[in-house]
Amino acid sequence: MILITKAEVTDAELDHIRERVEAMGARTHVSRGEQRTIIGCIGDESLLREGALLAIPGVESVMPVLKPYKLAGRDFRPDGTVVRFGDAAGTAIGGRPLIVIAGPCSVEGREMLGRTAQAVRAAGAAMLRGGAFKPRTSPYAFQGLGTAALRMLRDVRAATGLPVVTEVMDTRQVEVVAEYADMLQIGARNMQNFALLAEVGRTQRPVLIKRGLSATVRELLMAAEYVMAQGNQDVVLCERGIRTFETATRNTLDVSAIPVLKRETHLPVIVDPSHAGGQAYLVEPLAFAAVAAGADGLLIEVHPDPEHALSDGDQSLSFEAFARLMARLPAFAEAAGRTMSPAAARREGVA
Amino acid sequence: MSPESREVEAAREELARLRHDIEEMDRAIIRLVAGRVELARRVGAAKRVAGLPALDPAQEAAVVRRASEIAREEGAPEEDVRYLFWHLIGTSRRAQLAEA
Repeated sequence: MILITKAEVTDAELDHIRERVEAMGARTHVSRGEQRTIIGCIGDESLLREGALLAIPGVESVMPVLKPYKLAGRDFRPDGTVVRFGDAAGTAIGGRPLIVIAGPCSVEGREMLGRTAQAVRAAGAAMLRGGAFKPRTSPYAFQGLGTAALRMLRDVRAATGLPVVTEVMDTRQVEVVAEYADMLQIGARNMQNFALLAEVGRTQRPVLIKRGLSATVRELLMAAEYVMAQGNQDVVLCERGIRTFETATRNTLDVSAIPVLKRETHLPVIVDPSHAGGQAYLVEPLAFAAVAAGADGLLIEVHPDPEHALSDGDQSLSFEAFARLMARLPAFAEAAGRTMSPAAARREGVA
Repeated sequence: MSPESREVEAAREELARLRHDIEEMDRAIIRLVAGRVELARRVGAAKRVAGLPALDPAQEAAVVRRASEIAREEGAPEEDVRYLFWHLIGTSRRAQLAEA
């Protein structure tokens, strides 16, 4: 249930409305807009009586929420969420600036990570990605460097100032990953690992949720709802391609999911064109398509020597290819009504 | 020592002092949480004698409202304080139920 307040509602009235709703056994979330304040009510809707709610002073209207995702729903926060990264001035996901997160699929060593971070930063990336724990289809494939990789990410973060996003695969890893990362990533294969979602929700750290290989938009939003139900509202969604009958590409980038998500949720939406296509030559066109369709950002795999990468070499961009993409990106961003992130713009000025 | 390095040194000392103060404050907060849970246990005992249920949504909502008002007065982040208090109330209620 959503309550919309009268324009001139006071703090005392808001307190009273929330107390009344909460006394009925529900919880409230307030979103203050310029014109109106919206109070989202979470809980068993059968406990809430519409007539009683309408009678509370300050309440203008009452709307039932028919969708299963409530906290994630656009109705709850019409203005849109901006996820900010505290100690890196100007780094945010969900505002007008387009953000690019780049880095290797997996952290293979200190030197390669450092070089990659410098290269993507110089090209205008605002955040660094890098896998420490890797979910691989085969148990015999490279599984990542684990905690050692987390320490490398921390050091490179300190050296470059780039906030770091890395995947957490297991509830037992959440605390240690949260010690090093600015944003915790839930991988596509874990999108419906509800225990893990709840655990990352409890960290109160920004969370990036990748869409599962065969997950619907609704299932992705329900995954976000799990994190948000723990009181953690800083969630970023990522479209990374879905499994279809088409075998020419690794996955099929669901471009239409971007406007659908933007309509359904206030959460920022980014796109991973690297996993979607599975091949380097597809990354650039898919990235442009994503930006044109309204994505808030991109997540791109970059490797100093893609040919010899320990994982996902086929889809990783070389430094040169990434720099070419970044040089062409502002035109698409501008056409979509966006600016480049301040970090990228600053570097353009320097170049 | 250059003026810059003296400044950095002073900032480091300040940081260490502040972290020490935070640790002291954390201890005080935890002592208060333990005290609150103990009071809740006594409330639970009184409720049992009076024949009242442990879960009282109207009372819980009133406690959160009060916390909200105090947070505003004190300049503390209101929504975060509400969130903490819902958690604290849950902790207290579970303590009451465990006694029953």
